[in-house]
Amino acid sequence: MAKPKVATTSLAGCFGCHMSILDIDERILKLVELVDFDKSPINDIKKFTGRCAVGLIEGGCANEENVEVLREFRKHCDVLIAVGECAIMGDIPAMRNMVPLKECLDEAYLNGPSVYNPSGQVPNDPEIPLLLNKVYPINEVVKIDYFLPGCPPSADTIWQALTALLGGKPVELPYELIKYD
Amino acid sequence: MSETIPITIDGVEVQAKPGQTILEAADAAGIYIPRLCYQKDLVPFGACRVCTVLVNGRPQPACTQPVAPEMVIDNSSEKVQTYRRNIIEMLFVEGNHFCMFCEKSGNCELQALAYRFGITAPKYPFLFPKREVDASHPDIFVDHNRCILCARCVRASRDVDGKNVFGFVGRGPHKKVAVNADANLGGTDAAATDKALDICPVGALMRKRVGYAVPVGQRDYDTKPIGSDIETSKAK
Amino acid sequence: MKRIAIEPVTRVEGHGKVTILLDAQNRVKQARLHIVEFRGFERFIQGRLFWEVPVIVQRLCGICPVSHHLAGAKAMDQIVGGENLTPTAEKVRRLMHYGQTLQSHALHFFHLCSPDLLFGFDADPAIRNVIGVAAKYPELAVQGVMLRKYGQEIIKVTAGKKIHGTGAIPGGVNKNVSIAERDALLKDLDQNVTWARSALKLAKDYTVEHLETLAPFGSFDSNHLSLVRADGAMDLYHGNLKAIDAAGKAIFDQVDYQNYLDYIAEEVRPWSYMKFPFIKSLGPENGWYRVGPLARLNTAKFIDTPEAEAARKEFVAVTDGKPNNITMAYHWARLIELLHSVEKIKELLHDPDLQGTDLVVKGERRNEGIGLIEAPRGTLFHHYKVNENDQITMANLIVSTTNNNEPMNRAVQRVAADHISGKPEVTEGLLNHVEVAIRAYDPCLSCATHALGKMPLVVELVDCEGKLVDRRAKG
Repeated sequence: MAKPKVATTSLAGCFGCHMSILDIDERILKLVELVDFDKSPINDIKKFTGRCAVGLIEGGCANEENVEVLREFRKHCDVLIAVGECAIMGDIPAMRNMVPLKECLDEAYLNGPSVYNPSGQVPNDPEIPLLLNKVYPINEVVKIDYFLPGCPPSADTIWQALTALLGGKPVELPYELIKYD
Repeated sequence: MSETIPITIDGVEVQAKPGQTILEAADAAGIYIPRLCYQKDLVPFGACRVCTVLVNGRPQPACTQPVAPEMVIDNSSEKVQTYRRNIIEMLFVEGNHFCMFCEKSGNCELQALAYRFGITAPKYPFLFPKREVDASHPDIFVDHNRCILCARCVRASRDVDGKNVFGFVGRGPHKKVAVNADANLGGTDAAATDKALDICPVGALMRKRVGYAVPVGQRDYDTKPIGSDIETSKAK
Repeated sequence: MKRIAIEPVTRVEGHGKVTILLDAQNRVKQARLHIVEFRGFERFIQGRLFWEVPVIVQRLCGICPVSHHLAGAKAMDQIVGGENLTPTAEKVRRLMHYGQTLQSHALHFFHLCSPDLLFGFDADPAIRNVIGVAAKYPELAVQGVMLRKYGQEIIKVTAGKKIHGTGAIPGGVNKNVSIAERDALLKDLDQNVTWARSALKLAKDYTVEHLETLAPFGSFDSNHLSLVRADGAMDLYHGNLKAIDAAGKAIFDQVDYQNYLDYIAEEVRPWSYMKFPFIKSLGPENGWYRVGPLARLNTAKFIDTPEAEAARKEFVAVTDGKPNNITMAYHWARLIELLHSVEKIKELLHDPDLQGTDLVVKGERRNEGIGLIEAPRGTLFHHYKVNENDQITMANLIVSTTNNNEPMNRAVQRVAADHISGKPEVTEGLLNHVEVAIRAYDPCLSCATHALGKMPLVVELVDCEGKLVDRRAKG
């Protein structure tokens, strides 16, 4: 029987949740026995190769490309899990939701004390995706099936949820594994 | 006249004292009723409604409702827990609660309640309101992003500190804690030693330059749920 | 023109994108690495309270959060007048930092890069990943996983959590290392020393064996920059700025980093959210430089731990004592630092100061703080101004990977010119060559996007009329 596939992505996040996935340490060898990895930044599969049982999403939606990738994950995955606070509520990137975007760009590319910008141009090229007006939690863009809180969720939290799901059991997190920081 | 008033909470018979509220009677009996705006040393206010119980089938705030003979109180049915869970979730989306860097994290009563209720994510959309930080006072600050309008600081400053530093202005979504000065906190007679600084359940009213002094893992609610102190007293 | 995009770049930390423009004969006309994400940290942190900085800014990056945590804390030490830390505080912070260098270098070498080295640059992408390594070389994979785990355990002890802890606070730390915590770490120490040695041997042997092909791969002469100790030794936690040119001549040395703005500026280019730093005296054209393990091996006079110093001598012998400008030598340099980190951890764990109880110092309050540190990927700059109300009014961040922006672009251009230009067909394997060169820098595109944005690696081929001919994407 073919193993179920798991795909992962990081949208507007810091990769800390992916690091926390790796913090399952030696259990990763066990995980590899249970699943195959599809599209993920830890391998070179850049496009989905088939239907996935589980998609793990780190990060919220900060630009148009985040939204495209998220929709693609919804299309290809049976179950989508929001991993961490950026996916759940936007987290630090969403701090810009209370500030006009232009002020953020001006600070970084015009006003910073080490900036050298004789042309006064702010990065704007067809090769770089357009920024959204604000950062969106992912369940405001597509339907999300499970949420793993934390910044990042601990490796135990991720392990518990993933193994329950793959074993066909309900995802139930004990008190120690629900943390928002 | 009898010295106690018999009530039942979740089928358990409790002997309450005359003049007690339902919440006080429950505490004395080692039964935890979740609460947020209630604080033992302050006049009950009934603002947050997290302590809602069903009294003979009707929703009532346990912190302000006095006990009466033969009350049958529901503190744990799915219906009651859903009320409470919804309130907690709404509090999260109405403000800007960035737990990941909040210095109150681990000691925050709002966060601890959400943990106790097993909330992994609020079901409502986040509002991301634009709110101010008032750091004009040399020793304390107010971060309105985290304020849940529980009025603990209002009551403590008025009734314990005798200063009346804080009060509410505005209505509905515009309601906020204001200070008794022309401009900001720096113009008030608030002090870091005030009772008001001890009782904020969240990270809204804080002393400056003490954040993160307690390591992760050793904070109030890192390992034990909020309310477990009341529940352990029952086990004794 | 044809346009190739590698999007997203994978097995790097974060999101990047490469575009390559080819003419009708498939000759490379332009090759660029773009950072496609922007966050806005510099602006939205304004108004926050200064003691929150180390906890907020580490969330720039989940791979080396400790670097940002500590650089932010070093800047805040100055705000509270507490930069002369107690011995306990400095050593706990150093332990945290070496723990993170260990975990980050292990992650980069084993999890992200070893597949290219073990299977070949154009091996089947289905096995060219850490899981492929685990299947074929299980013992090696376990070593990588366990070395990283050890680094993470050290961070947990010192910061409270493996990722995004709270250990460093302005003027010190919030906890020491208890005897029980120390003993638990000591238990696994020797095993990790052994693994670190064998990992270094692997990187060294690979580089020496393939030197002829690796030497030109994505390589070019460049300036190098890092912090060094007052006596010229490598020091990853603290030091003064030193820059040398490609031949080893000092551009400046022992510069107090409080004056970094006199020496470093960053150019904005419209096609990337990541800026291009340069040494001001040399200008944007010639002043760009490399940072990270390779640069540090080039700038340091010596390393103050015996095994890493012996390894450094072997490393510099390859280039006859001149600076090493070989891009692929980053891996070897990185593994020397990995062993150095384990040696430092050993030193620190045996130091009774870790159990001290004097954790925080405060002095004269100031309104500006600048904190630099040698993060795993290179020199990291944090600079803040604070008003009289304790709120941040200005933040300037130059992260390690930003410093390597121009070098990574040069590496992409060189590989594209050598391996893609003029080829009738651009295969996946050839495109991976581009990524191999980028990976050598261990770019942390998460960090680099603190400004606003994200970078998947896409390669697109566009013909002379701008029509899309072919597109390959990663991620």
